[in-house]
Amino acid sequence: MAEFSGHLALRAAARPDGRTVLAAQAFRAPFHIGKPYWDQDTRTLLVQVVNPTAGILAGDRLESEIAVEAGAALFVTTPSASRVFRMRAGEAASRQHFAVAAGAWLEVLPEPLVPHGGSRFRQVTTIDVAAGGSLFFVDQFQAGRIGHGESWAWERLQLELTVRCAGALVLRERFDHGGAELRDLAALGGSGPQACFANAILLGPAAGPWTAEISALHSADVQVGLSALRAGGWSLKLVARDSITLRETLRRVRAIVSAAAPHLACDARKL
Amino acid sequence: MTSAPATGTDAAWIVGLLQAGDSYYPTGSYAHSFGLEGLVQAGTVHDRATLRDFLFLSALPALRHVELPLAAHAWHAYGAPDWNKIGELCVLSSALRTAREARLASENIGRQRAELAAHLRAAPLAQEFLRRGTAENWPHSSAVSAALEGRIFGAPLDAVLAGVAYASLAALLAAAMKLLRLGQNGAQSLLTEALAAAPALIAAAQNVPVEEIGWFNPWLDIAAARHETADARMFIS
Repeated sequence: MAEFSGHLALRAAARPDGRTVLAAQAFRAPFHIGKPYWDQDTRTLLVQVVNPTAGILAGDRLESEIAVEAGAALFVTTPSASRVFRMRAGEAASRQHFAVAAGAWLEVLPEPLVPHGGSRFRQVTTIDVAAGGSLFFVDQFQAGRIGHGESWAWERLQLELTVRCAGALVLRERFDHGGAELRDLAALGGSGPQACFANAILLGPAAGPWTAEISALHSADVQVGLSALRAGGWSLKLVARDSITLRETLRRVRAIVSAAAPHLACDARKL
Repeated sequence: MTSAPATGTDAAWIVGLLQAGDSYYPTGSYAHSFGLEGLVQAGTVHDRATLRDFLFLSALPALRHVELPLAAHAWHAYGAPDWNKIGELCVLSSALRTAREARLASENIGRQRAELAAHLRAAPLAQEFLRRGTAENWPHSSAVSAALEGRIFGAPLDAVLAGVAYASLAALLAAAMKLLRLGQNGAQSLLTEALAAAPALIAAAQNVPVEEIGWFNPWLDIAAARHETADARMFIS
């Protein structure tokens, strides 16, 4: 089976009239992008990144570079979940870099990653935000092919995240778990085989009433933890009972935080 | 470590590590549960069995992938000394903890350890660390300060990491005795079991490159974040 060495590069810039456009774009399979949509109400450019193949396979190497220039506002999402298929040998890897200039806004909210049984996947994400830039970044993943009754069956899932603000390291996280290891932690944490996770970073909004509203989303169905990062910004972690609960919680999170970050009111235009 | 009889030189660092690892040593760790109180409030940890699961599924992996590698790299950096590396490790230690209380726990304990080393022993290495850290606004780190103590005592790396493992596990279990129906013998039996795993963790942690330091438990981070606004709490973290 063919291995992909995919590449995606986007650069969003503000035109003189304040409207955001893609000033540069380049992509190679399995990446493709849909026609960008300008959301007039929130003054945000919405871009859907599409993987027209079945999913991520052994040996795939994906690289993406997305930059948002001063005064621009970009919302990047995907239309469907990303499947990481069983691998007889080797692994798949993705490296993604996001750069946000002063006065720019970037939201990254892809649909969840679905690691299949026997898969090995490493994702390395680096985010550089200039002083005065704002960001909402979300990584989601499911316990597995829940619809097929397969959970916690992947071999290794590595999700590495580095966030720098004005050049200073604000956050470094390494999620590196085998499926069985996370299954045992989930059992201890009270999460079942349909558990879904979201790890979000919010940079820009100061503390306000929205923080208590986010914490109040915590329930028996979804665990919610919001905490301030070391040098500005917020970490938000969610563990939901199932994918529908996670989706609904993220919808409510975006609605709540939009009071402090109005670009989050941009509709992702998905059914 | 050697199995040869201890020498006078060995005794000097051994007593230093014993002092620094004793609950009588005022690091302030007695005021922290390191996220455990949040997990108890969430109902996740509620008895000896679930506490044992937490130790082996979360506390030991965190030692293996975070605290011990940080201390190991810091111990090497103090040997030169490589102050740029020390500063980077202090920042990394802070950045690895997304829950504010967990971050402040490490910073406060780290500050206290470094200041005690400078004050009690008038150690030039500790004084220089504090001077540079203040000038360059480094966040303190319990692991980096433990390495500093080890260098001042003249302790070998294995022994320093053993001290870090012991202090971390003992502090967690001391908090557990206040939070759960767990007696001293029960806590000591868990400590004994966990410490039996320490040599393997210490050996493995020394092979972790800086860029691979890090590990987190989502349920612990959520509980630690929620502990910040808990209506009632016994511990700072």
